[in-house]
Amino acid sequence: MVLAQSPEAEDLLKQAIQLHQSGQVAAAIPFYEKYLSQKPESPLALSNLGAAYARSARYKDAIAQYTKALKLQPGNVPVEMNLGLAYYKAGQIAEAAARFEKVHKAMPAETQPLLLLADCLLRLGKYSQVDTLLTPVFRNRPDDRAVAYLLGTALIRDQKTERGQTVIDRILRDGDSAEARLLLGVTKLNAHEYPAALEDLRKAVELNPKLPDVYAYYGQALQSTGDPAAAADAYRKALEADPMQFQANLELGVLLKDEQKYDLAIEHLQRALQLRPGHLDGRYQVAAIELQRGRADVARQQLERIVKEAPGFTAAHVTLATAYYRLQRKADGDRERAIVQKLTAETQAKQQKGINIK
Amino acid sequence: MTRRGFLGCTLGASAAFGAASPLFVERPASETGLVWTHDNAMSDAHYLPETLGPGCAFLDYDNDGWMDIYLVNSGPADFFKPAKPLRNALYRNNRDGTFTDVTDKAGVAGGTNFGMGVAVGDFDNDGWPDLFVTGYGNCILYKNNRDGTFTDVTRKAGLECPGWTTSAVWFDYDNDGKLDLFVCSFVAYGPGDRRACGVNKLGKGFYCIPRFFKPTASFLFHNNGDGTFTQKSAGTDIAKSMGKGLGVVAADINNDGLMDLFVANDTVQNFLYANRGNGRFEDISLPAEVAFSEGGQPRSGMGVDAADVFGSGFQDLFVANVDQEMFSLYRNQKNETFRDAAHANGVAQSTRLLSGWGLKFFDYDNDGALDLILANGHPDDMIESYSPAVKHKEPLLLFHQEDGKLRDVSKTAGPVFDNSYAARGLAVGDFNNDGRLDVLIGVNGGPPVLLENRSGEGNRWLGLKLQGVNCNRDAIGAKIRWAAGGVVRSRMKNGGGSYLSSHDPREVLGIGKAEKIDWVEIVWPKPSGKVQRIQNPPLGRYITVQEP
Repeated sequence: MVLAQSPEAEDLLKQAIQLHQSGQVAAAIPFYEKYLSQKPESPLALSNLGAAYARSARYKDAIAQYTKALKLQPGNVPVEMNLGLAYYKAGQIAEAAARFEKVHKAMPAETQPLLLLADCLLRLGKYSQVDTLLTPVFRNRPDDRAVAYLLGTALIRDQKTERGQTVIDRILRDGDSAEARLLLGVTKLNAHEYPAALEDLRKAVELNPKLPDVYAYYGQALQSTGDPAAAADAYRKALEADPMQFQANLELGVLLKDEQKYDLAIEHLQRALQLRPGHLDGRYQVAAIELQRGRADVARQQLERIVKEAPGFTAAHVTLATAYYRLQRKADGDRERAIVQKLTAETQAKQQKGINIK
Repeated sequence: MTRRGFLGCTLGASAAFGAASPLFVERPASETGLVWTHDNAMSDAHYLPETLGPGCAFLDYDNDGWMDIYLVNSGPADFFKPAKPLRNALYRNNRDGTFTDVTDKAGVAGGTNFGMGVAVGDFDNDGWPDLFVTGYGNCILYKNNRDGTFTDVTRKAGLECPGWTTSAVWFDYDNDGKLDLFVCSFVAYGPGDRRACGVNKLGKGFYCIPRFFKPTASFLFHNNGDGTFTQKSAGTDIAKSMGKGLGVVAADINNDGLMDLFVANDTVQNFLYANRGNGRFEDISLPAEVAFSEGGQPRSGMGVDAADVFGSGFQDLFVANVDQEMFSLYRNQKNETFRDAAHANGVAQSTRLLSGWGLKFFDYDNDGALDLILANGHPDDMIESYSPAVKHKEPLLLFHQEDGKLRDVSKTAGPVFDNSYAARGLAVGDFNNDGRLDVLIGVNGGPPVLLENRSGEGNRWLGLKLQGVNCNRDAIGAKIRWAAGGVVRSRMKNGGGSYLSSHDPREVLGIGKAEKIDWVEIVWPKPSGKVQRIQNPPLGRYITVQEP
């Protein structure tokens, strides 16, 4: 049975939609909110309010409204897409990926959810999933530069250099482009050819400074060629374009930690960890900062978890030993020190078998 | 012109004049006669020892009260056959700002090893400084014959240190009144250990990073008092610690009256050997927080020093590392732990792109507070091809202590600080006896650099030459306190420090503008441990103080 709607409530919704459609998003919001206080189970109003919040960069509020709307209308693909976008813009990339995946499954021929899903997976470091997702698409649409670029990036970051090179060659056929330079630069970074990588990435920045990730990789090349101050500037530019860029947050966090600017460093590292919560180095850097801030027991707890997950992480054992010593737990410190010595000896034995790399 | 305008002009001119007055000036070889040049033996194969020397020293070998100079050269090795004989050099101070080469007469030319560094110490307590020269191949102990000549007594003394030795330090670890010897050993570099690290992108061979060579244990020799030494490392943490030692300083970091050792290692953790007595050394570097960086990484430690930089009564430590790692200034927490204060003192910020070697805490302007000088240069001659922001030749750095903090004053310290060098060893000493400590720098593949100190005009000072009687003759380990202008300052006479080099053994006590020194107190090292107080000592001159 459908209950008759009260005329006052309907007027509110009507006004909200009119304001929204005329671009007065901020003005529309209170009308939606008031309407929903009377009619809390309106999927349309919830979805519209979510969109208004998203337009106002209130992504958390948008997410809450879209989620309520989806509870009322499970499987509503446009709402699912909007929720994905809100997560994406809020920097909750894993959640965004889950939503885009649902949309992509429902609408496999649509390009936008496919590319957004691939981008999320890239940002989450799930390169082989991008490979699986985009390789068949690239086969069918070899001229789609966006697909080629995302696939090439995933292959190169996943050290699948030969296949990555094929994709880059395809992009290069269209002439010099920021995308091609970025991919070449990243390939050279992976091969430790830092000065050559720097040249490509500098060119990529010149060609298209707005290309996603370009400043993050340029920063890495600058850092690898011994210019941390310029690298920090590049990371900051990367974060101006995308505050949730993983690599820029991580690397800038480490540089700031080296400068003992711990508050700022933690801010960036935590953003990086929001994207990849399990990232060991990010977690280690946070723990090391906690120790330097005098919170030895907090650091100890974090480090104990890290070395349990990664028993060969020598620096984490060093810092854990230090935390134990600061906590006057000499026996535990000595035990960790013995592990450090053992790991160091093993590393040295491996290094002495290898050759020098420049 | 108004009075205000006149004053403005005068003050402006004064400020401009002050800015233009160099704190240090380079004394060219054409003036000093120091015409010797280091031969680094650089080859296409890029053998690692080529890039690590040379060391240098200030010493008064003829006891005339004027600092002479010793310079270490490379030499024959299994990877290098010099086209012409290479020699170390001893220059006698002519007391007029010039020097005369007396190497051949003195018999200290070396030539039997690929020389690295020098440690000066009076091992036989006869009042005449002896020379210990390190290098690849062997080490050499030159005993001073008290007549301007030396004798190579290495074999007789039982000092065998095969392999590749770098910095060394004379110190009395068991307080028996005789100087013992610690010698840093770098990496295993025999023909069987050596490796070619390949050809780089420029099609050239390059210097292997030390990470790729096996670490070695350093040497501790006990002075038997009869001209011989016995190696005492066995069973101690010194023998167990496999390192790649480049720098060492002996200092009493916990004020227990026993000299400890701090060793800077390249690409592996540093070692801090706490002297627990009875010949036992305990490596406490990790709990002391001086082994690794704050990020838990080993750094490429090269030069070191120890000093009570901030007047806490405890010895702080310093390590110069390679570029990107930043140098470390470890502040003593008075409980056998340290905290890196390099950032708080601007040291980390100034050294991010530099690689440091010789260094020394010294009060260059005699205002009473310790300052710091750093000699830098990247070991890889092709570094600029890989890391454009990093240079092979690098500038010297000078820090001045103000209000308990170090401040980088290099940019205003004089034109010499605008120059770049492949600097390695660094020794501090007063070659012209004006009470202002000068600086000598060993340059890889080049002539040495002698910097004359022109700073601290009007500041007063007293120079002390301590002469042990019961303790070691050089009084290594002595503690000096002095009161002037209502301030009591203190200093420990440490052993070693810097990189491959030896400093003027005298201590210069600066008092700024204070009119006089009320008293100087010397706590002589054990075995006597006597405390001696001198009231109202003279100023502006060096005095010899003998242990009572």
